[in-house]
Amino acid sequence: MKTTISLTWLILIVLTITSAYISNLQGTYIAFVILILAALKFLGIAFQFMELKKAHVFWKGIIIGFVVIFIGIISVVI
Amino acid sequence: MNKVSINYKNIYYPPGGILLWIIIFLELFTFGIALIAMVFYSKQEPLLFHDSRLLLNATFGMINTLFLLTSGYFMAVSVAQLKANNRKKSNTYLLLTMLFGMLFLALKSFEYYGKLNEGLDLSYNTFFTFYWLLTLFHVIHVIVGLVILTSVYFGIRKPQSNTSIEDVEASAAFWHMCDLIWIILFPVIYLLF
Repeated sequence: MKTTISLTWLILIVLTITSAYISNLQGTYIAFVILILAALKFLGIAFQFMELKKAHVFWKGIIIGFVVIFIGIISVVI
Repeated sequence: MNKVSINYKNIYYPPGGILLWIIIFLELFTFGIALIAMVFYSKQEPLLFHDSRLLLNATFGMINTLFLLTSGYFMAVSVAQLKANNRKKSNTYLLLTMLFGMLFLALKSFEYYGKLNEGLDLSYNTFFTFYWLLTLFHVIHVIVGLVILTSVYFGIRKPQSNTSIEDVEASAAFWHMCDLIWIILFPVIYLLF
């Protein structure tokens, strides 16, 4: 249990530093990559730290739905 | 050592409780819609948003993200320890959770102080109106979260505590909600424009 939480924390830290680093790069898809990394971090917290992985499929679906719609709208508008 | 187990597969009992999850989704929708509105406004004044974003310190934003993620990590470990009936360890991790939450607030205060000294207040431009409203609203959540965690800390420290695991899980869910909100605020406000 603690190993999974620790591994999740490590991945979240790496993803955060990576997103801050790539935000300095130039490119068409940089904004999209930053948003995808944010979505992965969001789901990592929800499923591992908040233990949503153990919850009913309804709660898993609604949180994934939120993040997909949110990132989708931002990616289209930006 | 007795282990506490709760059946989370029941739709009415997500970890933290159904009422907390309704609040979490309301908060996520509120912040989500505000961020989408911010991105829409940025299309009207792209240069202003880009220049204003460059006035923010992305390193501060990143360090604050690391503080909140580490705080969330300790919170998750604290709940796991409590479920394994290790109250003492759980309380120690809870203290670490609060410490990193306070570090977040300290750095945020330092950042706010700098912005106000530079005259970058709420009325400076559209970008900073969104910046102040969204980040201050988030800071209020962090402060409320710290008050809840302090109450839980003193609750589970008592030998004959009536603080249940469900109470602690609900408090933890609220604290993680602050992480979730920050995880969507940080890239949009500090990195995208």
